[in-house]
Amino acid sequence: MSQPVLHVNHLNKVYGKKNENQFHALKDVSFDIESGEFVGIMGPSGAGKTTLLNVISTLDQSSSGTIEIAGTNITAMKQNQLADFRSEQLGFIFQDFNLLENLTVYENIALPLSLKGVSTRHIKPSVMNVAQKLGIEKIIDKYPITISGGQKQRVAAARALVHEPAMILADEPTGALDSKNAKSLMETLVHLNEKLNTSIMLVTHDPLSASYCQRILFIQDGQLYKEIHRNTTRNSFHQEILDVLAEFATSNELE
Amino acid sequence: MLVKLTLSSMRKMFKDYLVLLFGLTISIAIFYMFQTLAQNKAFVEANSLISSIMFVFHVGSFILGFITIFYIFYATSFIQTLRQKEMGMYMTLGAKKGKITQLMFFETFFIGIISLVVGIIVGVGLSIGISDLLMQQLDFSVEGFKAVYTSSILTTVIFYIILFLLTSIVNAWQIGRRSVLHLLHAGQKQDFVKVSGVKTFFGVLFAIILIGIGYFAMIEIEKLQQLGVILASVTIIPGTYLVFISFLPYFLKKLKQNRQLNEKGINSFTLGQLRFRMLNLTKVLGTVAMLIALGLGAMTAGISFYHNIEIQSSMFHANDVAIHQPTEQDLEALKSMDVTEQHTYTYKVTDDGIYFLKNKLIEDPPLVQAYNAQFELPKKQRVEDKLPASSYSLQEDAGSEELPENWWSAISTEINASYNMFGSTSVYVVDQAKYDEIDANDNEVILARVEDFKADIPQIEKIDKGQAQIAEKYRGEPVENTGSKFTNYVALKSLASGTIFMGIFLGIAFLMMMASVLMFKLLSSAGADIHRYSMLRKIGVRKSLLKKSIYRELFLLFLFPALVGLVHVIVGMQMFSFIIIEPYTKIWIPISIFFVIYGLYYLITVHLYKRIVLPKEK
Ligand SMILES: Nc1ncnc2c1ncn2[C@@H]1O[C@H](COP(=O)(O)OP(=O)(O)OP(=O)(O)O)[C@@H](O)[C@H]1O
Ligand SMILES: [Mg+2]
Repeated sequence: MSQPVLHVNHLNKVYGKKNENQFHALKDVSFDIESGEFVGIMGPSGAGKTTLLNVISTLDQSSSGTIEIAGTNITAMKQNQLADFRSEQLGFIFQDFNLLENLTVYENIALPLSLKGVSTRHIKPSVMNVAQKLGIEKIIDKYPITISGGQKQRVAAARALVHEPAMILADEPTGALDSKNAKSLMETLVHLNEKLNTSIMLVTHDPLSASYCQRILFIQDGQLYKEIHRNTTRNSFHQEILDVLAEFATSNELE
Repeated sequence: MLVKLTLSSMRKMFKDYLVLLFGLTISIAIFYMFQTLAQNKAFVEANSLISSIMFVFHVGSFILGFITIFYIFYATSFIQTLRQKEMGMYMTLGAKKGKITQLMFFETFFIGIISLVVGIIVGVGLSIGISDLLMQQLDFSVEGFKAVYTSSILTTVIFYIILFLLTSIVNAWQIGRRSVLHLLHAGQKQDFVKVSGVKTFFGVLFAIILIGIGYFAMIEIEKLQQLGVILASVTIIPGTYLVFISFLPYFLKKLKQNRQLNEKGINSFTLGQLRFRMLNLTKVLGTVAMLIALGLGAMTAGISFYHNIEIQSSMFHANDVAIHQPTEQDLEALKSMDVTEQHTYTYKVTDDGIYFLKNKLIEDPPLVQAYNAQFELPKKQRVEDKLPASSYSLQEDAGSEELPENWWSAISTEINASYNMFGSTSVYVVDQAKYDEIDANDNEVILARVEDFKADIPQIEKIDKGQAQIAEKYRGEPVENTGSKFTNYVALKSLASGTIFMGIFLGIAFLMMMASVLMFKLLSSAGADIHRYSMLRKIGVRKSLLKKSIYRELFLLFLFPALVGLVHVIVGMQMFSFIIIEPYTKIWIPISIFFVIYGLYYLITVHLYKRIVLPKEK
């Protein structure tokens, strides 16, 4: 097997300082994501999905445990190293799109490349290339306020992909999209995953979106609860996911 | 119900409202400070060297009023920025448009009234503080200045109430006119300024023409008089705003279009920040440029008048002090001064005349001021004329030759052997033979030049008192003015002190307002900037790079108006060239002081802004 792109080992996250009201949001979480894998994270609201993503994405600090991304232990890094690491190795698609409204679509997408110091000559082809893949080349000179929610989502995706990061982290990217747009975004992600071999970690509530993944981790109350692999068609995987979610519902009722 | 909601959300946004109150308060305080001078006619006319000073103040009121209107409209529109999202929300929940409009009107007006009360109190405080400080520091006693001046309070109140009524109406109208959606998404909306090359070209051309006319009017102020002042203000102000309105958007667009520049590092974001609120930005920069021009101008003029005292008091005298019949104390005082040139001459005094010994004069001739009809500082020159005759006289006298002009001014002005010293007794210059014939005691007079006249003033004052006593002895009457350089200096200083006071007082006021406008611009937009910076940090921008972006953005913000303002000031000093001998003397002092303070202010602002917008982390 190839080397894991993400290696999470006994990860804990406690919110709140000592002597205060503490909340144990992640409890001893361990898992790997192989290079080129497309993994989904599911679970009920408040389960700790966003927390997990924030810690992995280096935006938040873990309380204990280690995280290695592409062979680098990020739990030991300084703030500026983390920033560099984010800009080089990771691509984000946030729950809210987080585009900079004072930049055009083009400039938004180009920003990670500019930050990396890519020369102007190479920026335009790369930007146009992702824009084309995501079908946003027509709105490239517009400002975020003048484009639709789905288009914004795709711009955010384009920005996450343009510098070809080792891993893409996405938090409910389809949350604000209609089923058609959701489908097209998921297909883009699959395309990236298959053609460019980009590893993807995706948090979602939507079983249909989740069915595009190769593997799904379920978490509940901050703990890994179940893991399922896709061995069959997408449709039957979809059904499988629905079954697990139903299981959740009944177990919650029993409490 | 809606009113209650509004009040509670106002409480939540307390910080933002504080920023707004601060901006408005300073503007009101400054307006009031200006009015304490502009309305105090008795004081102004009694203390000014400028003949049509009241007229200048009328124009000044107009200019300040104009700038203030611009600024207040800009500042109160901040309320809209704060509130529109919430108002939009109320409207989606079913609040009536009329109600929202009403709410906006009263809110704006209410805030206006609060700031009016606070502003006048602050204005009175500042007037007292600054006037006391100036009088102490400059050793002036400016009589008749009143920090609490009723009619100025009244003018300020009326002006601002009208202004706030207007802005309230505009605010209400604008909120009422917008669609709910527009309100909800207001925060992300870009102020678009359409720029086309042709429009920019004509805009800039027009601005240059306007400013050119204004400069011409200032340079030719002596001929144009009051018309020149009016002409300069109605051309330069709109010209300045137009420069920013037409040129800046174009300039930034060009910068953005330069791929190499825009796509390097974080540049695209820095430029995007500047472009994002272009319309507001041009207003702010225009206002700041005008305030710098006025403030720095008033200050520089004031300080120029101050230096002018010394220059003008050297108009007539090439030497700094003449000591007749020096006493022990005089000699001691002289020793303690930094003397660069010293001459001693002898003379005898009888009832018929004062007789100077020619040889001593010719052997060691003094410097005099060359005669010159222009209003500029005359050149010093050493007296070289020969004196072949045996006897010369200052006054017309049948028995003696008339003294050549330079010797005349050496004796009567430099040595001060004139009516001031000896009354109507005639003054002669005679050769040794004649001198010896005169039956009287030898007297000495010392003529000295010092390195720094102002530094030696205490000693020179003592000497001058002694000279006045000698003059009293000869003239037989009380003498106040010995006609020396020192007495000229004192007279000029008391004449100019009022003007200097006004210049510096207003200079400080305008510059304070400038600082508050810049600060307001920054603080009012900081709230909206926070999430942009945190976003950048999330996608992996180093903090140092974010800081660099802030430094650059604010640098451009500070730079443009300072440059424009500085050019205005430098040309504007021409206005004083017919009343100040060398208006540009030491002009670098106030200008460099200004730039040092401005630079510090820049650093402080950057620091503050960084603290607000940059994400906190360990
Ligand atoms: N900053 C914080 N301080 C304290 N507790 C927090 C903080 N952020 C999240 N939590 C708590 O941690 C738990 C996990 O939150 P998290 O945001 O990870 O949930 P989630 O799985 O993303 O939920 P959702 O599906 O609703 O987005 C929640 O109970 C939440 O209340
Ligand atoms: Mg979440």
